[in-house]
Amino acid sequence: MCEVACSSFHFGAVSPGLARIRVAKLEETGIDMAVACLSCAEKPCLACPTEALSVGARGEILLDKELCNVCKTCAAACPIGAVGFHEEQPLFCDLCGGVTACVAVCPSGALSYREDFQAVSLKTFLLSQGSSGQKRAHYARVQGEPLRQGWKNGARVDS
Amino acid sequence: MSIYRGSCLRVNLTKHEIRRTDTPEDGIGGRTWNSVTLLRELGPGIDPLGPENILCISVGPLTGSELIASCRFIASAKSPLTGYLGDSGARGFLGPEMRWAGHDQIIFTGASDRWVYLFIDNGRVEIRDASHLVGLDITETTTRLRRDLCDPDLQVAAIGPAGENLVRFSIISCNLARAAGRTGMGAVMGSKKLKAIVVHGDQPVRPADPERFKKACARLQSNLEGHHEFEARRRYGTTRIMDSLARMGVLPAYHYRSTCFKDLEMVNAEALRRDHVVKAKACYNCNVFCSRYNYTLYGEGEGPEYEAQAAFTVKCGNSDLELAVGVSNAVNRLGLDCISTGEVIAWLMECRHEGVISDADVDNLDLSWGSREALLRLPELIAGREGIGDLLAEGTKRAAQKLGPGAARLTAEVKGLELFSADPRGIKGYALMNAVNSRGGDHYRGEPMIELTDDEDLALRRVGYREAAHRLNDEGKGALVNYAEHLGLLSDSMTICKNISCCMDVVDFDLAAEAYSGLLGREVTPRALWEVCSHVSQVERDFNLREGLRPEDDTLPPRFLEQPIPDGPAKGTTINIHRLVEDYYKEKGW
Repeated sequence: MCEVACSSFHFGAVSPGLARIRVAKLEETGIDMAVACLSCAEKPCLACPTEALSVGARGEILLDKELCNVCKTCAAACPIGAVGFHEEQPLFCDLCGGVTACVAVCPSGALSYREDFQAVSLKTFLLSQGSSGQKRAHYARVQGEPLRQGWKNGARVDS
Repeated sequence: MSIYRGSCLRVNLTKHEIRRTDTPEDGIGGRTWNSVTLLRELGPGIDPLGPENILCISVGPLTGSELIASCRFIASAKSPLTGYLGDSGARGFLGPEMRWAGHDQIIFTGASDRWVYLFIDNGRVEIRDASHLVGLDITETTTRLRRDLCDPDLQVAAIGPAGENLVRFSIISCNLARAAGRTGMGAVMGSKKLKAIVVHGDQPVRPADPERFKKACARLQSNLEGHHEFEARRRYGTTRIMDSLARMGVLPAYHYRSTCFKDLEMVNAEALRRDHVVKAKACYNCNVFCSRYNYTLYGEGEGPEYEAQAAFTVKCGNSDLELAVGVSNAVNRLGLDCISTGEVIAWLMECRHEGVISDADVDNLDLSWGSREALLRLPELIAGREGIGDLLAEGTKRAAQKLGPGAARLTAEVKGLELFSADPRGIKGYALMNAVNSRGGDHYRGEPMIELTDDEDLALRRVGYREAAHRLNDEGKGALVNYAEHLGLLSDSMTICKNISCCMDVVDFDLAAEAYSGLLGREVTPRALWEVCSHVSQVERDFNLREGLRPEDDTLPPRFLEQPIPDGPAKGTTINIHRLVEDYYKEKGW
């Protein structure tokens, strides 16, 4: 639902290719994880060679479309695959200008947005390789491991 | 009048040729297109497992839109299990992806001489070699394709060993556990040597009248969130039905020999959630997220839904829920329909109990009620067509012909399709639905759930008969089943989840018309949608009549007509199926 809400909010149309939040679904492990820009401490995307990217007041990544030449360095640098592309434009989570449509729609309460957040470090993922989808999946796999360990030790949904 | 025409891919698997056409003009998506295509293009009397059968896979204009749970695809072909029209829908995420790839219908004709899969990346469509996937189960096939093609987000619909081996009740499955399960569509795919369909798409679905469309979506959402079962469905999904059916006295314990199961509390929704559910799961764009991920000694997986849960516990007389959940996972991986598989096993157990088959008939397998050996071994034997499994893979109707009249007397199937996990005698609308609908023994064609509500105002509003609100009444059931069939067909065309649209009564023709009008940007009336559904319902009947269906086939197995319910709250209830069928025919004008 977050992908649908994001895509619909920004484009008035629905396709995960238009969404700035994507759910990595590791079906064979039961893990699902919504992945979007975390405004991480490292911000490797800022290595943009044309300096088209900057950081906004909420910590979100701002894109100067004039300067962007779609070299996709940002997408390659993002350790968790949170940069999408549509019609030769990179897609960065802009927090919907503060509306956060994905958080508003999430029926399970899995998503939240806090203005006073402490930037998370993605240092351990900086060497992640592959497509954005593969990096999202890797991130979800690592993040989901404690959950799976819990299941193995008997944790159940209500426990 | 044409309401919406989508784009259609025609894949000739004999010649390995692909061309693009339009979907039929007299339909509104999904099942309507498929049924019309099959009536027009199939000759009568063809072999369902021969190259002349056609496999249609459709979505609709609303699939992959913002409408809640607009998630399904519908697979249709002549059924190898019933010999009549076969079709089945799967939820999950593949349907929307197909729509985003720009293909509303895929029609597979002919048969390949070697194993292949269809690869779709938006407009790029290729038939590719699948020899490396042969023998892999559904989880392995899906995972392998995603890994090999370096894209974990690919959507895959696959068959398992059961489909490859032409088990007549094998499934097509996406997202590992989301099955087009009924009527053997997996076997049709297997007969064409088509192992999987792989889809990536990212072309947006854009409503032509966004304001009107969003209003319809919001109305559905508010109908859902205001529904008295909303929280319970989130918590337990369909598994909550087990306790309700026990209260109504229609549980099919020990293969319909009793409606009381002594260990109900060991196998019900609460037990499942307490002992095995580790996480909630959802289909595309659904805020009910009624599915669950399980963890057991026998492995892990998504599910089970009520039907698998009940089939492998109550129906087989098994009190070991962990075993049942493990069997459900295995059945999903092998690519078998859990309803038919559960029915085959339970029936065989009853045959052994009644002494109408011998140990030698069944390779000396322990067939006592709840037998762990039978529950673990039989799905594998059936999927691999090994030993007794080869006979059982034909379905109960054909297997009974081999095992003799004693065994045939105990079957629970209509037109060759095995019944669900409830006793039809105590729910007259469902009994009628099972007797007359186009698939055979099937409760899900449309859900006459209004008879479970005792809400007379609702019954009057929907079908014109207050009496139809009560499950033990005969009155108004023809109209109720006709309405439920229409709503089911509408849902199968919108490709919305029927657990929502039919079972919760949150979608009606008015709401659907608003959604279609908003998406397409022109007026689609509720009347027009109703008429398309009436037309296609007749198309489906015509297909089956052409295949030799007779009115006397619209009935239930004799065991339900000859004996009353033996015990429990509905004890003594019998069923007058002739009266119900007459009433339905009158409603249909037949």
